Amino acid sequence: MDGKVIVVTSGKGGVGKTTVTASIGAALALQGKRVAVVDMDIGLRNLDVVMGLENRIVFNVVDVVQGKCKLKQAAIKDRRIDNLFLVPASQSDDKNVIKPENMVWLCNKLRKEYDFALLDCPAGIEQGFKNAIEAVDEAIVICTPEVSSVRDADRVIGLLYARSISPKLIVNRIVPKLVEKGDMLSHVDVVDVLSIDLLGLVEMDDAVVVSSNTGKPIVQQKDSRAGEAFTRIAMRLDGHPDLPIDDPMAQKSFWKKLGKKLGRKKQE
Amino acid sequence: MSFNSLIKKLLNKSEDSRSVAKKRLQFALVYDKLEVKDGMLEELQKDLVEVISRYFEIDRESLSLDIQRFEGSSALILNTPIVAAKHQKTNEKARDKT
Ligand SMILES: Nc1ncnc2c1ncn2[C@@H]1O[C@H](COP(=O)(O)OP(=O)(O)O)[C@@H](O)[C@H]1O
Ligand SMILES: [Mg+2]
Repeated sequence: MDGKVIVVTSGKGGVGKTTVTASIGAALALQGKRVAVVDMDIGLRNLDVVMGLENRIVFNVVDVVQGKCKLKQAAIKDRRIDNLFLVPASQSDDKNVIKPENMVWLCNKLRKEYDFALLDCPAGIEQGFKNAIEAVDEAIVICTPEVSSVRDADRVIGLLYARSISPKLIVNRIVPKLVEKGDMLSHVDVVDVLSIDLLGLVEMDDAVVVSSNTGKPIVQQKDSRAGEAFTRIAMRLDGHPDLPIDDPMAQKSFWKKLGKKLGRKKQE
Repeated sequence: MSFNSLIKKLLNKSEDSRSVAKKRLQFALVYDKLEVKDGMLEELQKDLVEVISRYFEIDRESLSLDIQRFEGSSALILNTPIVAAKHQKTNEKARDKT
């Protein structure tokens, strides 16, 4: 196999990296791809609980790079979704136990075994971040429509460009009501400021919180706007780069909604 | 602009927090990128002196190099008194040497 390794990063913490990694990973696997999600947040692992796999950890990514086990032994198979695997972080080490050359080796291994490997990057721009971006093919930058988050995203985008990686942007936790009231940056503002290609727009959605409570993938919840957005992002990554991006603001108005429904019928 | 924010604009002149956020961001990003590491200006000054000295005799001590910031833009300002222009031949010699 000759898969792709993609890092999910943001600079700032708490903007949705882990949620995005778990959700896009699940969506890609549901679309029939062989997927590994790798928790690179050494010392502060969380991807396992978001995916509901915390009880099944035996080995972790540090064990893999230190040769204590095979990649296959550390990769936990999701029981609900075929072809979805989690490589958990170690909880007892710190970020410096992994060296950049380890990452080159690990990413090559991942490319051989999987169609897609998504790396959940730690917050910050120190060693953990440097490791996570060291040997990837592509990068996804997450930000929320807030000044501090966009500023951190800009910094990270600069660091990625310096490594010849052109990242794509996901704006997460959009609240259309606030945007319309003039009290939240719109995705147009954010893209304008960052001047970077957009990969997707994800609304603030209570179902994300419920899904992280229960450890069930948001992309399998019915009628979740965020889940739907993640599924479409996964399709864009997997051979449909031009799939239109839904504008969360368009959903606001009843008439636009109706128009859209009618428009859809006509197409069918 | 949405209908709501238009009404808001008409009712009171104060800007909505969304536009304030965008402006603050645009300034912050420009300023962030202007920050230079300690020593970088000195390195640049050394290099510039070397290049300029091929063409002009300059007073190395009174050369100054500065970054000046204005709202939304910035400039690198180099100021140096010239003692004399060098002869073309000597320029070429100087270049061959390096
Ligand atoms: N679209 C969303 N709607 C609602 N809550 C969200 C959304 N995205 C993320 N969250 C919540 O925000 C918090 C931080 O998300 P997380 O993925 O852990 O961020 P990070 O990994 O960047 O630190 C979590 O509690 C998560 O459930
Ligand atoms: Mg996280």
